[in-house]
Amino acid sequence: MSEPLLVSRGLSLSYPASGGRAFALDGVDLTLAAGERLALVGESGSGKTTFGLATGRLLPPQARREAGELQVAGVSVFAADDAAIRELRRRRLGYVFQNPMTALDPTLRIGRQVAYAAGGASPAAVEDLLAKADLEDPARVARSFPHELSGGMAQRVVIAMAIARRPALLVADEPTASLDASIRARVMTTLVELQRTMGAGLLLLSHDLRLVARHAERVAVMYGGRIVELGATDDVMTRPAHPYTRALLRAAAGQERPGERLSPIPGVPPVLRGPSTGCAFAPRCAYRQASCVAQRPAADEFAGRIVVCPYADRLDRLASAGEGAE
Amino acid sequence: MLRRLAGLDAASRFAVALLVLFVLLGLFGPWLPLGDPARIAAGPRLSPPSWAFPLGTDELGRSFLPRLVQGIRATFLVATLAVLVTAVLGTLLGMLAGYLRGVVDEAIARFADVLFAFPALLLGLLVAAVLGPGSLSAIAVVSAATLPLFMRVIRSVSLSLTGRGFVVAAEVSGASVGRILFVHLLPNVLGAGIVQLTYALSIGMIIESGLSFLGLGVQPPEASLGSLLRQGSVYLTIAPWLVLSAGVTLSLAILSVNLVGDALRDALEPLKGRSLR
Amino acid sequence: MNQTAVIALDRVGVSYRKGPVWSRATFEAVRSVSFAIAPGETLGLVGESGSGKTTLGRVCLGLQKPSRGTVRFEGGPLGRRRGLRGRLSVVLQHPEWALNPRLRCGLSVAEPLTILGTASAAERRARVATLLGQVGLAPDLADRYPGELSGGQRQRMAIARALVTEPRFVVFDEAVSALDVSVQAQVLNLVLDLQRQHGFAALFISHDMAATRYVSHRIAVMKAGELVELSAAERFYGEPEHPYSRQLLGSLE
Repeated sequence: MSEPLLVSRGLSLSYPASGGRAFALDGVDLTLAAGERLALVGESGSGKTTFGLATGRLLPPQARREAGELQVAGVSVFAADDAAIRELRRRRLGYVFQNPMTALDPTLRIGRQVAYAAGGASPAAVEDLLAKADLEDPARVARSFPHELSGGMAQRVVIAMAIARRPALLVADEPTASLDASIRARVMTTLVELQRTMGAGLLLLSHDLRLVARHAERVAVMYGGRIVELGATDDVMTRPAHPYTRALLRAAAGQERPGERLSPIPGVPPVLRGPSTGCAFAPRCAYRQASCVAQRPAADEFAGRIVVCPYADRLDRLASAGEGAE
Repeated sequence: MLRRLAGLDAASRFAVALLVLFVLLGLFGPWLPLGDPARIAAGPRLSPPSWAFPLGTDELGRSFLPRLVQGIRATFLVATLAVLVTAVLGTLLGMLAGYLRGVVDEAIARFADVLFAFPALLLGLLVAAVLGPGSLSAIAVVSAATLPLFMRVIRSVSLSLTGRGFVVAAEVSGASVGRILFVHLLPNVLGAGIVQLTYALSIGMIIESGLSFLGLGVQPPEASLGSLLRQGSVYLTIAPWLVLSAGVTLSLAILSVNLVGDALRDALEPLKGRSLR
Repeated sequence: MNQTAVIALDRVGVSYRKGPVWSRATFEAVRSVSFAIAPGETLGLVGESGSGKTTLGRVCLGLQKPSRGTVRFEGGPLGRRRGLRGRLSVVLQHPEWALNPRLRCGLSVAEPLTILGTASAAERRARVATLLGQVGLAPDLADRYPGELSGGQRQRMAIARALVTEPRFVVFDEAVSALDVSVQAQVLNLVLDLQRQHGFAALFISHDMAATRYVSHRIAVMKAGELVELSAAERFYGEPEHPYSRQLLGSLE
């Protein structure tokens, strides 16, 4: 059994905020095996983007690690020296961010940028990479400047650059959110195909539940800087165990009957000033019990996955018994 | 404001302090007890720095220190007035080009191209031939030289703002072009504009000094840093303090303006040039 | 029916030039589209990118002149901007650009009224407060700047602004696409409730079939500039007519 590609143990991270610090991550426990596709699902403020940046220690200088550790491809990210981190970023990690136009240098031709990302590749090798990313007429694309390409083509170039040195881990943060809906599926397929053929791991960050359902093998649901549910995609999406996952899936349009009203989650996501002392979701939870606000829930195994809710095994009984209301 | 100053690095703080010093000298110079810049034969000609004449005297025996202060005043004044003209014209034309696009954009772009095509000093000769040499010509030339780049920046920011939700919503509500330009575009263009204006100011000072060095700008007995450099350069071997003090002052002035421009850019457009840990 | 329609398109076509820099070509964004929207009705306009739905939205707002066909708004031509002030409005996709970052939210929301020029400052403030209440925002948010609000709050401000002059017609162009799932649900419910309250006609443009069928009475499906189906929204919970519509629906499973 090979070593896991990514191991996060109790990782907590904070940013400066008026009146102290805001905790973007509050004890993240997560492992990703080599070649695995794991999706990190969460809404704004859940901390998923922060975690994605942390994998390569790409956080702004004001971010501070409060606790825990993070190992990526055998390197302890926060303990490594600058040379080791640069090596990690260069050779073992590949990033695909949301906006391809800001990821590409507007003043250089595509060919040069891809060659640079590949550590100095020949024009033939560059065209080969671009063809692998499903770009028609790679020679022409290589001669172009970023502003001459469409969004979908630019994102494919970014993907080509990300896989150029055969990284062990690909991190994609909302890779298709900025693209036209008609090409999202195809760009996503390209990314997944490349990941599969290279045997790299893929950490997919997204708020798009349908995208995640289609491409990820496992899903981790994030709320308030913690992973609240982690399991096989099919399990989590069809039989959600955590109250937040349930509420999220219920709020999503698409599964309701005609005339049935959607139920949004009341309230707003929390801004943590320190590690949460109780359950971060409790104020908005339909099944809230007295102990939820007072006690920080621990991760438990339930129905083949990890859930951070002590009442996960009896939610339906709680609801039907009329408890867990305001 | 003071809190922001504390947050700047050492170079920026030095630059701000220097710039404030220059501005104060420029504003209050004539009333400071530094000596009379116009009094000929106040001391021996071309004498080195001494207690009576802190920066020595020039070829007519005038105390050089007050003349230097006068020079700072003139250089800054010309450059600032020119940059103000650039700011008003450039903002208006840039916004019109970026928002209306089409024919208006083409016309304004061609106008900018014409201005761009002339090297500043050549333009200086032409304008001096028409208006006669002096501060007014210098202002016109500096303005013409800094206008195209400034317009381009304002135009590009305006272009990116034009498609944004709040502008489209205003159009749908029936807002007039004037309202969109001044309520919606202008406040959002100011950030980039101010940064560009400080760079335009430093370019303006260089051009003004160049013009005055050639005798096309500020005329004697008035002095600007450029004309002082010119007068001093004649006596470089016998009275080097004249050229040195004028040159060092000019360099420091341009440096301080540029550094303040960088600091403003970091403050107003903070996402550029972010460094990783 | 056509006489009472708020907006009616008759064989509208739009063509322009598009494509990557090295191969520009004349492109028919919209080909011969006709539909009408009655007061109090929401017409969903669904399709992928390049289907022409965004262009149609601009035509309905008078921002784009059709190359062919006619557009009639409340029986008259959609020509004179000044005559239309206050009678139609728009809510766009990106909450971060929905409001002028340099203006306090209350002023942004009041702007259509300010442009109309019929209300005093005090009347405008009162109207803004009323509308903020209707969209579920605390009244003190009127004094804040957009940068201090979340995406969902900004989008609600945009909706308040869209309704401040009691328009007869509102265009929602991908208005919920950039919002988190739970916030999307809130805003969709809001659109439903507000329409019941105010009775405006609405065009809901989206690539998201799930959101569209939830808020619309009828749905128009666009493909490559053509209207391939125009049916009641209920059909899209079951089996729509056109195979392309079924394809779009299929991505929901």
